[in-house]
Amino acid sequence: MARYNVLLVGVGGQGLLTLGAIIGAAAIEKGVDVTIAETHGMSQRGGSLVVHVRLGKGASPLIPKGAANLIIGMEALETARSIVFANRETLVIMNNFLWPPPLSKYPSLEDLINEIRGRARLYIVDAMEMAKEETGLVVTANTLALGYALAIDKELQKYIDIEAVEKGMEKIFRGKALELNKRVLWRGYREGERVISK
Amino acid sequence: MVKLKYLLWPKGATALLLGNEAIARGAMESGIGFAAAYPGTPSTEIIEALADVAKDVGFYVEWSTNEKVAFESAYAAAMCGVRALVAMKHVGLNVAADMFMSSAYAGVNAGFVIVSADDPGQHSSQNEQDNRWYGFIAHIPVVEPWSPRSAYKLVKASFELSEKLRHPVLFRSTTRISHTRQPITYENDIPKNIKTKGIFDRDIERYVLIPAHGRKQKPRLMSKWKRVMEEEGREPFLAIENPGKKEVIIASGISYAHVKEAVEVLGKPDKFTIVRVSLPVPLPYKPILDVAKDAEKILVVEELDPIVEKQVAEILYKNGLSVELHGKDLVPENFELDLEKVYMAIKKFIGEESVSPWRPMEPIVTEPPIPVRPPVLCPGCPHRNTYYIVKVAANKAGLKNPVFTGDIGCYTLGYQPPFKTQETSFEMGGSIGIAHGLSKVVDEPVIAVIGDSTFYHAGLPPSVNIIYNKGHAIVLVLDNYYTSMTGHQPHPGTGLTAIGEPTYRIPPEDLLKAMGYNTYVINPMNVRESIEKVVEAYKKFKEGDQVAIVSRMKCALQTVRKARREGIKLPVYGIIEDKCTGCMVCVNLLACPAIIVPKDAKKPVILADQCVGCGLCAQVCPFNAIEIIEEGSPNWMEAWL
Repeated sequence: MARYNVLLVGVGGQGLLTLGAIIGAAAIEKGVDVTIAETHGMSQRGGSLVVHVRLGKGASPLIPKGAANLIIGMEALETARSIVFANRETLVIMNNFLWPPPLSKYPSLEDLINEIRGRARLYIVDAMEMAKEETGLVVTANTLALGYALAIDKELQKYIDIEAVEKGMEKIFRGKALELNKRVLWRGYREGERVISK
Repeated sequence: MVKLKYLLWPKGATALLLGNEAIARGAMESGIGFAAAYPGTPSTEIIEALADVAKDVGFYVEWSTNEKVAFESAYAAAMCGVRALVAMKHVGLNVAADMFMSSAYAGVNAGFVIVSADDPGQHSSQNEQDNRWYGFIAHIPVVEPWSPRSAYKLVKASFELSEKLRHPVLFRSTTRISHTRQPITYENDIPKNIKTKGIFDRDIERYVLIPAHGRKQKPRLMSKWKRVMEEEGREPFLAIENPGKKEVIIASGISYAHVKEAVEVLGKPDKFTIVRVSLPVPLPYKPILDVAKDAEKILVVEELDPIVEKQVAEILYKNGLSVELHGKDLVPENFELDLEKVYMAIKKFIGEESVSPWRPMEPIVTEPPIPVRPPVLCPGCPHRNTYYIVKVAANKAGLKNPVFTGDIGCYTLGYQPPFKTQETSFEMGGSIGIAHGLSKVVDEPVIAVIGDSTFYHAGLPPSVNIIYNKGHAIVLVLDNYYTSMTGHQPHPGTGLTAIGEPTYRIPPEDLLKAMGYNTYVINPMNVRESIEKVVEAYKKFKEGDQVAIVSRMKCALQTVRKARREGIKLPVYGIIEDKCTGCMVCVNLLACPAIIVPKDAKKPVILADQCVGCGLCAQVCPFNAIEIIEEGSPNWMEAWL
């Protein structure tokens, strides 16, 4: 089976490393090999952040441009920037949030959405709002986006499913954090199911 | 994330390890008794992982003040028969290079592995030097893994090699190995009886490297080096796949992973003989000779410099083999490699047009364009306060056009507008030495800006030098209690050791005072009071005093963490629309990521989810339009202390 490429993009501090680790832990549950290329150090300080998750056998850690199967974008500018990793088939899950860098001029969210739509299959989710509703914590928006993506992306389900993600999360969180993350995961999943059943 | 101690799991368990954690586990299975490092991306998590479990296993771990000290400490253990590991980022080996060279002459009495985590592509560094060269200078063999999983295995093999030769081994990782996670199934348990105590076996000829003794050691050292070249061209350091083909690809380190996938994508997995090299320096010549005899052409794929390629060329030439040799003519020499670059190189190698098999979308072009997003100072970052204070104070004190020399840390981000309080940044501790030199040759006042950890690392000798040689520059130490950029490791000003035990605090101001600086300490959260103090400091400086300033306030990320942990609510500020005139002072002077100007809006807003309540914007607003809109807990200030 060819490697399944999931690109996680956003701004440093949005929880992308945790998201990568959750997917990785789920892959272990399913006996699927995986590499997750993270970014550490200064780039984590509010800069563009990209995590390359590659499911399936192999050790080359970076996704080639045009080879992403799924992009989960936690911020609109970063999602738009990452579109070179997409091809016509790529599924893009985007958190409905534009966070401009300090002292910058920037395009409107509508323009970005239109441009992304012209290039890939785009789904937009209010991950931060929903996560806040569910748990009171905006930091769980990443988990919500993953649940949402899992419901929509049938190909991803061949590698990991929501049960594996739940089990994987037990290796990463404990106590209340685990409970909250499971809750938002399912909230996102149900939202994804609702959207595709329309 | 909760830290589960997965590094302690038994044989047979599978954990999702970061390359650096894989190196740590490999070292633990090898029975290390001693580990030391100075933090530096991408090497930091090796010692972090070890520190996390040191008490459970019983070995010793420390964050040393710099790489040279870390090297010396770990070497001393290996000298006494205790297996030891020292880790550093690539440029850290420059700091430790003196001892690195000597360690090869004197050798070791137990496995000693030096991990250098290189940074091709400069994700978090001032250069992308290829530290495999160091192997040649010191005559220390270099081992290079191709994945986190192979790193785990090869670090164990490195300890064995080191112990066999009684010689140090340089283990070279890179960002994409150190910072990639992979499931790793443990091959062994951590040994029960690890050796943490040794014997200093006095041996003057070996350990006192006066010229006469050094000359005696040199031939011994060279015989070890030649032995590696002769004998180690086999698993796990080298493997030949699919032998006997006319077209040969030699791939070193992570390039092997790219090559394996590229030939799959190409649909020609069996077309080539592939030589996997994990011992690039010195390159064992026998297997290279074996494949070269059958080959018509060879492609060497390696990241950065043509180190393996040059050795292959030498082997071919010396043996009179005229094989077509390719390397850096087809493989990029700058920045990190990836699957696509390697695929393209192989296409050219076999004489095919190099077109990407993937069909990437065109980049999105908008008006205005998608802005770049470099890293920035976090909301509530004390450096923002300090930079604002020292600039305002310079105006007030008539300190004209100061030059701000800079250093290595989060605060380097002050190079950006609106601060521009970092006008040089070369290497650790450089701010102060450069400031001294500048003060001798330019008329502008000079301010050396250095972080706390960097000050302990390499800031002390140049600070002494300013006083001794009558330079005239202000030393400004930004003290936020931690080595923050690499993830808040403790340092001599924290009061904690690597494993979290309380220890002595050595405040920077005490050191500076002892050197002879008129030293001022400010808390940059108190903006007005700090400005007054800094104005006074500048005035003294203008009168000819030697002046130092220590600006102390905790890293905002640690504050947020503490608040979250202890259930403390930090206040949240908001911009009162009626009072705000849209002057944009808060936006333009502070560049805080929590303050944004919504599309087409005339007034800024504060993102409540991002605000950590430092209150700097409220102190800066000329119209008092920024107020607390969500009160913090009564004890919220404790989170900042």
